[in-house]
Amino acid sequence: MQEKSDQSARLSHMVVSIQAGVLAFVFAVIGGLGLFLVTAWLLVKGGEHVGAHLNLLGQYLIGYSVTWTGSLVGLIYGALIGGVLGWSIGKLYNLIAQARQRAGKKRTT
Amino acid sequence: MELVFDESGAIDYMPDVLVIGAGPAGLTAAYELSKLGIQPTVVEADAQVGGLSRTVNYNGYRFDIGGHRFFSKIPLVNELWHEILQDEFLTRPRLSRIYYDNHFFDYPLKAFNALAGLGPLEATLVALSYAKAKLLPHQQEITFEQWVTNRFGQRLYEIFFKSYTEKVWGIPCSEISADWAVQRIKNLSLHEAVRNALFGAAQAKDGQIITSLIETFHYPRLGPGQMWEHCEHLLAHRGAQTIRGIKIEKIRHSRGHVECVYGRNASGEIVEFNSTQVISTMPLRSLINALDPVPPDKVLQAANQLRYRDYLTAALIVKREEVFPDNWIYIHSPEVKIGRIQNYKNWSPDMVPDAAKTSLGLEYFLWQEDDMWRWSDDRLIDFGIRECSALGIIEPGEVEDGAIVRMKKAYPIYDHTYTESLATVRNYLEIFSNLQTIGRNGLHRYNNQDHSMLTGVYAARNITGEKHDVWAVNTEKEYLEEDHTTSSTSGDRLVPVGIVPAISEADVSTDVILETIFARLDPVAMGGAVGIVSGLVLFLATAILLLKGGEVIGPNLSLLSNYLFGYQVTWTGAFLGLVEAGVVGFILGYLFAYLRNLGLTAYAYFVKRRAESEASGDIL
Repeated sequence: MQEKSDQSARLSHMVVSIQAGVLAFVFAVIGGLGLFLVTAWLLVKGGEHVGAHLNLLGQYLIGYSVTWTGSLVGLIYGALIGGVLGWSIGKLYNLIAQARQRAGKKRTT
Repeated sequence: MELVFDESGAIDYMPDVLVIGAGPAGLTAAYELSKLGIQPTVVEADAQVGGLSRTVNYNGYRFDIGGHRFFSKIPLVNELWHEILQDEFLTRPRLSRIYYDNHFFDYPLKAFNALAGLGPLEATLVALSYAKAKLLPHQQEITFEQWVTNRFGQRLYEIFFKSYTEKVWGIPCSEISADWAVQRIKNLSLHEAVRNALFGAAQAKDGQIITSLIETFHYPRLGPGQMWEHCEHLLAHRGAQTIRGIKIEKIRHSRGHVECVYGRNASGEIVEFNSTQVISTMPLRSLINALDPVPPDKVLQAANQLRYRDYLTAALIVKREEVFPDNWIYIHSPEVKIGRIQNYKNWSPDMVPDAAKTSLGLEYFLWQEDDMWRWSDDRLIDFGIRECSALGIIEPGEVEDGAIVRMKKAYPIYDHTYTESLATVRNYLEIFSNLQTIGRNGLHRYNNQDHSMLTGVYAARNITGEKHDVWAVNTEKEYLEEDHTTSSTSGDRLVPVGIVPAISEADVSTDVILETIFARLDPVAMGGAVGIVSGLVLFLATAILLLKGGEVIGPNLSLLSNYLFGYQVTWTGAFLGLVEAGVVGFILGYLFAYLRNLGLTAYAYFVKRRAESEASGDIL
């Protein structure tokens, strides 16, 4: 394992800097499509009480329900929330990583 | 020693440089000097230039001494080749196989092909032997035998490495240093292996593919000698003289300075060279023995312990249009003495004057002390014909003519004593301020043509004031292409600096991409980011429900208490959830980054091992 770590260090000395906008977009796509698809899946399956648990998201997402209209509303909410989460994670990661690098440099000098 | 410039910037003092040996290293040194405005004198013992890379012409049939693929990972050398030979380069397909036990095997070795050719019983034994080597490897890899056995198993070693290697080197594999094999694959850096795996093999300036196992290579239309004859012409055009037939006999020196070099020409006359700088490609043993006054006994003894393998080619002209499709065949069958058979026509169609005929080179690796070395040419040709027909490659009646070429000191031997002997000689030579040794025999290193050429370039540049360590060539990859630094012993002149053969923009851009792809995710930062976001999300989710209120608040979200100790949909629970979800998020984020880094590292490691494994099948 030590050998692998050494080799990794030799291969790249860089620490990834995350593009928050890109991560936000990825999370938005996953969030929006994800919520749309899980809603659509329940609707296609059908049954007596369609999506009783998923309906609870309506507590947070005003206008969302397990209906075809709701799936489109969910698509927008999912994308919005995903985007915010992705952007937040990206920004926070960069802040912490940069702070740690600066601290590391100070220690070595 | 440096060039001295006058006030106007013109060269005020021109060093008088003598280059001993007109092989690739010597001629490259001279060529580089001439480009730098210095006209050296080159002396060559033989009647022909090119050294081991000469092309012998016999009645229009051209014989390459050993077979030289023009393929280099060093951009500077690729540029030089094309600069000297220009459009006389052909791109040729590479095909070489191993002949053993009446079968042809792919070379470089391919597992399936090798096992299929050996038959089921032998293949099983090979597999068992391989498994044993992997489970119980030699703890030390000092000898070539140990090195190969650890990688291929004892059985494959005996079939594909032992007999041929012992034919070439003339000593048991258990007495050959593992250095020889290591030198052949050590150039594979992790960085390069990954770059090749991701982007395909990198390309040099001339578009030549850079990889250890190439399928095509460049080759001068009239053999490698064409390169060096052309180089000699270019030198003459620039005013540099190449004198053939001068055998260096004595090198007079005093206080670490070569004062005069004495040679004897073909007429037996002594010729003196009072040069201010000397670059020698002479075998170190000969060089040390030529020094006057003689070096200390310890140095003399060390030099005399350096050994060389000699080489003989029996060239046969065969009345057949096509004999076999390979450029060369390794003959592993122990029942014949031939080590390799070259098919010159497959290197370049212009190597034969008559397309209806084929010229073969039967290569024998000998000691000068061997009886066979002293056999008459006719006897050697007859012997070659008999062996070649015994292998079923030709019929004796098909051979129209033949010729013999002998090359003394073709291969420096890496035996158990060479490292120590070489170090002693090298240390002694470092006292000389105006003598540099370069090339395969000048460094006693099994360099290919490109590395020999690079030592020539460095030696020439050292004369103009740069500082390069010629001994570092072909020892540390980093010296050539990566960090541009190396650690090595430094004498008066041999201080390493970051010389860089040109690195193409394409290489740089792929390096940048590689850096980006393999950049590490900081696990702590990722853990922190995911942790903060997770904590806040749970806090907000709880807070929203609390603010909305109702009879039963958040019965479903409360189920999280199954995982988050003490969590409830209350304001206290919201803060508890913030902390606990933060911790869980941190762990998940950290793990994600760590595993992602580990996966990339493991991939890079795997790629390097695979490349090493491929290269180790190409060390013959």
